Amino acid sequence: MSAVKKARVAFFDFTCCEGCQIELTNLGQDVFLGLLEHIEIVEFREAMSEQTKERIDIAFVEGSFSREADRARLEEIRARSNLVIAYGACAATGGINALKNHTTDYKKFVYSKDANMPHLDSHNALPVSAAIKVDFAVNGCPMDRNEFVYIVSHLLHGKTPVIPNHPVCVECKKRETVCRYHLGDHCMGVIARAGCNAPCPADGIPCEACRGFIDQPNEAALVKVLVEKAGFSNDRAKNKSRMFTANLRSDVK
Amino acid sequence: MSYFFLKESDLKDFVRKLISSAPVIAPVARKNKFVFADLESPDELRLDYDITILPPKKAFFPPNQTLLSFKENKATSAIRPREQILFGVHTYDVKAIDMLDLLFAENNADNNYLANRKATTIVAMTPQAVSGRAFWESVGKTVQPNGHDALMTKIREGYVFEPRTPQGTRLTKSGIFSQASSGQLDEASKCQSEIAAKCPEKLSHSTREISDKMRASFNNEKIWHTASLDCFSCGTCNIVCPTCYCFDVQDQWNLDQVSGARYRTWDACLTEDFAKISLGPAGAENFREERAERFRHRMMRKATYLNSRLGGPACVGCGRCSEGCVPDIADPVKIINNVMES
Ligand code: SF4
Ligand code: SF4
Repeated sequence: MSAVKKARVAFFDFTCCEGCQIELTNLGQDVFLGLLEHIEIVEFREAMSEQTKERIDIAFVEGSFSREADRARLEEIRARSNLVIAYGACAATGGINALKNHTTDYKKFVYSKDANMPHLDSHNALPVSAAIKVDFAVNGCPMDRNEFVYIVSHLLHGKTPVIPNHPVCVECKKRETVCRYHLGDHCMGVIARAGCNAPCPADGIPCEACRGFIDQPNEAALVKVLVEKAGFSNDRAKNKSRMFTANLRSDVK
Repeated sequence: MSYFFLKESDLKDFVRKLISSAPVIAPVARKNKFVFADLESPDELRLDYDITILPPKKAFFPPNQTLLSFKENKATSAIRPREQILFGVHTYDVKAIDMLDLLFAENNADNNYLANRKATTIVAMTPQAVSGRAFWESVGKTVQPNGHDALMTKIREGYVFEPRTPQGTRLTKSGIFSQASSGQLDEASKCQSEIAAKCPEKLSHSTREISDKMRASFNNEKIWHTASLDCFSCGTCNIVCPTCYCFDVQDQWNLDQVSGARYRTWDACLTEDFAKISLGPAGAENFREERAERFRHRMMRKATYLNSRLGGPACVGCGRCSEGCVPDIADPVKIINNVMES
C-alpha cells in the first residue's frame, strides 16, 4: 500500500528529555532509511527544522502533559492527525515525571531560588491521554526501537499492533534469565508490561517497570514479595512503584 | 538390547566425539542455575544438574519459532530440521516430551514440531541430584518414560548406558564402551531408586483420587480464590513447564513491508489475555477473566483434564513451577494436597 503513497508522520514533544526521539536516530542507517521508503517525516525537531500545519497520518507525541498551557497544542495535533500515538513512557503513562506527583516541595529542592519562575508552573505529570484521545502507545523509557518498527509496520498495513498484556517474567523465562529474586534481589517485572524482551534483568539489573503496569497489576502481592522475598522495608515496598508507574497505581489521586 | 558401560574417565572423549558428529544440547551452568545449551566443549557439561530453568522441549519446540516466511502472496515453509543430540535429559522430562509427541501428532499433525523432534536423538539420564521442589517420584507412577533413544545412569565408576533404539546403539560407536556387568546393572537400579527417594516433596494420593477430587473442587470458589490471592498472572508457571504446549501465532513484516514471517511464541494460560477472543466489531470476550479462574484452569489441566488422553496426569513433578513462582503459590503438591484435605 505504502509503495503508492507514503504515510505522513510527525513527532511532537512535551514534558520529556526527548530521549525517545534520539533513540529513533539510534535505529541505524539501514532501518531508518528502510522506514523512510514508506513514511515521510514532516516534523521532527531532533533532526529537522521544518514544521507543518498540514494533515498528518500518524502523530507521535512524546512527553507528558504537565501544563494546562499545552492542552491547546495537543488538541490542535489531535485535530489534524488520523492516529495519535503516545511515544515513550512520559507520553504513555506520565513516566518518570510523575514521580513528583505525590510531593509538593520538589520545586524548592530542584530549582532553589528559581523555584517561582512562571514556566515551572506545572500540574501533575499526566499521560497525553489525559488531554486528548490516544490511539496506541509505544511504551518504555526509552521506547523500544524494535517495537517502534513493529508498530509502524502494522499501522502502515492498517492492522492493530499487538502490545503484550503480560508481565516481563514471560520474557525473562523465555530467554532463561536467572530471576532477580533467585539472586537475592528485587524486581518489578512481575507487574510490568512486557514487550521489550527483558533486557535489564538479562544485564543483571532489576526491571523498573518503565513500560508501565499490565492492565491488572497485583499491587498488594508486589508489596508482599518486595518485603518477604527482597527484604524491603514496608515503606520502601509501598513506594517502589512510584518511579515509572505513579499514575497507574490504585492510590493515584 | 544389551547394556553398556562407560568409564567416568572416558566420558569427555565420548561427548567430544558426539559434538564433532552433530550439535549436542546438554545441561550447562548459568549463574546459580542450569540451562540446556549447545555444547561447545565437554568441559561445560554439567550432568550433576538438579533442574534446568526451561525444560529440554525447547530443543525442538523453541520459545519463538518461525513457522513460515512470506513475500507478497507466496509463503515458504520454515521447516528445516537439524540432526541433533539432546543429551542428559532427566527421566521426568522424557515423560513430558512423550506427552508433547502425542499431542502434536494428534488431529492436525504439527510438522513444525514433529520434523524437529524426529531429527533429535535423546539421551536420557537418571537424575544425579534432585531440585529443592521436585516430586517426580510420586506423580503419574504408572507412566514410564518412553521417547528416549538411550538411558544413562551414573554409578560409582562411570555410567551404565542402555540403548533403546538403533540411534541409541549407534552412539556407542563414539566412545569406549564395554558390556555392563550384572553387578553394574544392579548398582544402576539401586541408584535409580535411591535418587527417586530423595524427592523432597510428595503427593500422597493416587492419580485417580487426585483427578476425581480436583474435578469436584471446580466450584469451590473459596479454595481457588484463596490459593490465587498473590498471583501476578505472570505466566512463569506455564512458561517453565515441560508439559505446557500452548502458543500464540503472529505475523511480522520486514522493513520492505511486502515480505515477513509468521512465527509462534509460547503462550501462558495464567496471563490475563490468554482466553480473550475477538468478537469482531462487538469487541472482545475473556472467558477466564478472573485470576482465580486462570489459576484453577492450570491445575485442572495438570491433574485431570488430559488424563484420559495421556494415560496419566499432565504433570511430571519436575517442580519448575514451584521454584519459579515468586510469591511461591504455584506448587502443585501444595495445591493438590490442600484440595485433597478440603
Ligand atoms: S508463577 Fe505464580 S504468580 Fe506467576 S502466574 Fe503462576 S501462580 Fe501466578
Ligand atoms: S506443573 Fe509444575 S511440576 Fe508439573 S510438570 Fe509443570 S512445571 Fe513441572
